[in-house]
Amino acid sequence: MMQTVKSFGAMLRASLTMLRRNRLLVITSLGLALISIFVFGWLFGSDGSAQLRLGLVDEDHTSVSVQLTSQLRANDSLRLHTGSQSAEVAALRAGNRDAVLVITPGFGAGLASGQAPLQVYYNQSNPVTQAAARGAIQSIVANLNAGITGRPPVVRLSEQAVSVRSLRQIDWLTPGMLGQLVMWANLSVGIVLVQWRKQGILRRIAATPLRPSVLIGSQILARVLISVAQGAVLLAVAIIVFRVHIVGSWLALGLVVALGSLAMLSIGFVIGSFARSQEVSQTLNFLVSFPMMFLGGSYFPTTSAPAFLAPVIQAMPLTYLNDALRGIINNGAGLAAIQTDVLVLAAWMVVALIVSIRAFRWA
Amino acid sequence: MALASRQPVGAETLSAGGQGDSIVTVRDLTKRYGRTIAVDGISFDIHRGEIFGLLGPNGAGKTTTLEILEGIRVADKGDVRVDGLDIRRNRRAAQARIGVQLQATTLFEELTVRETLALFGSFYPRAISPDSLLADIALEEKARARPQDLSGGQRQRLALALALVNDPSLVFLDEPTTGLDPQSRRMLWDTILRLRERGKTVVLTTHFMDEAQSLADRIAILDAGRIIAQDTPAGLIGTLGAKATIEGVVEPGNVVSVDELRGLAAVAEARERGGGC
Repeated sequence: MMQTVKSFGAMLRASLTMLRRNRLLVITSLGLALISIFVFGWLFGSDGSAQLRLGLVDEDHTSVSVQLTSQLRANDSLRLHTGSQSAEVAALRAGNRDAVLVITPGFGAGLASGQAPLQVYYNQSNPVTQAAARGAIQSIVANLNAGITGRPPVVRLSEQAVSVRSLRQIDWLTPGMLGQLVMWANLSVGIVLVQWRKQGILRRIAATPLRPSVLIGSQILARVLISVAQGAVLLAVAIIVFRVHIVGSWLALGLVVALGSLAMLSIGFVIGSFARSQEVSQTLNFLVSFPMMFLGGSYFPTTSAPAFLAPVIQAMPLTYLNDALRGIINNGAGLAAIQTDVLVLAAWMVVALIVSIRAFRWA
Repeated sequence: MALASRQPVGAETLSAGGQGDSIVTVRDLTKRYGRTIAVDGISFDIHRGEIFGLLGPNGAGKTTTLEILEGIRVADKGDVRVDGLDIRRNRRAAQARIGVQLQATTLFEELTVRETLALFGSFYPRAISPDSLLADIALEEKARARPQDLSGGQRQRLALALALVNDPSLVFLDEPTTGLDPQSRRMLWDTILRLRERGKTVVLTTHFMDEAQSLADRIAILDAGRIIAQDTPAGLIGTLGAKATIEGVVEPGNVVSVDELRGLAAVAEARERGGGC
């Protein structure tokens, strides 16, 4: 037992080292996803429609509130509408405002005493917009506070470009790239398996007391960990560079990435069990990966695909992985909301595992 | 009886009772691949502390025999005990006690020499440190190199070090010097002889008569899956005549025809292998 744990730990460390040093793997998984994020982020990211529609209600009517109003009007990441509270809230309900900010009576007077009240209404039907609006309002308030406490210089609001009108291209693309990364990082396990078998590495290991389950298990865990780590790097870039907002929970995100990795790994094992040469395994890997990459909904939506492609698209595990990731990242879906995706991925994993275990050969 | 048989006279007869100093006993070992019989009911003993050579042409069944003893292949028939353990029933326990060098070992491309030694060491309950193994095979300066960047001789030494990583009492070497230049070959011979000095039992396959003669205490000659002779090198040369044996075994049918071989006075028997010529 202790021996198994020791072997597993050593094999896991070695597998992680090998994966890190596997340039092809890093380039096709994280590299491809990052390049896509940057290319499409820059092409579509500075889309002018990314303005927050803010309704402003001034009930204070002091010089301070007028000054704040003109400041907000000068901010080009906001489209400012002014009006009465009832009219603006009605507009928010109708979906014509993303948020409504009310400067309540006594705001100007309260500034001196440190009790300046502001009231905010958010549109709760769209979590992306709500979160963006909240971020924008918070930064406005932070700015005000900084200005009042006399800490120069007051940061210009236009630099706090968090406002999003609707889902941007980059927000939609990010989960797709994460899904694609998970596919590339794990499907290629089959190539490695065939390589180990053809080169006699599996046979050399079979001459040691190491259990096959330890070898395969450590490889699986290493791939899942590498996928999660690469996914974290991708998301960090998306968040920091392109202000992509992760609406849902990180835990659900991590679980779906792990499940997606396992499903892709299982399919990789099927390839590794059937392919008799490295060339065949590489060809199979690309034959499976490329259609999924383009039809799995990573780069563009597949809703308008011709009818004859629908069954193919519906069969692809990446379709469900992307759908689950979009649900979490863009819409804040919990695991219950994406249970169909989760079930299909789990089914892929189980079926592929059974097939690969039946077909597996050491030599 | 078994001790007496180590004296360099005459062909050894197998003794069922002579297992006192035997580290490996093989009885009636048979292995088929489809309709081909790779190993055809062979029996032999390997004594503790000796270098035992399995000599024979390609396809004679040397590697298959070795791989069954190593627990990589399963025999169709027969009984194999390694260090007292039934290789089929106690495979992992037996494998923990043996060291194995396969023919032409390729290793993980992405791991350095030291990392590879440490990894393989972790598979065993007890392991020798990578640094002391590297010193043993004079490969310290290549500790951070990748296996594929080593020369042929260095790679063979690394494969040998991997076979020693668990400090085994029994080491299997499958054609350890094939493809090496004469100098690397001599170097490896010295290393193998040192293993015997350290009390290890070595089983090696080779198709070089001179290698078997220089290294082995006893030799079994395999041909077409059968042991056709088994003795000390001196004994074999005495009974069979060195030259005819070497030529006949090493290059079957390619250079000299079987009839020509039969015509020679020193040749007791010449045979064609199935599918040869």
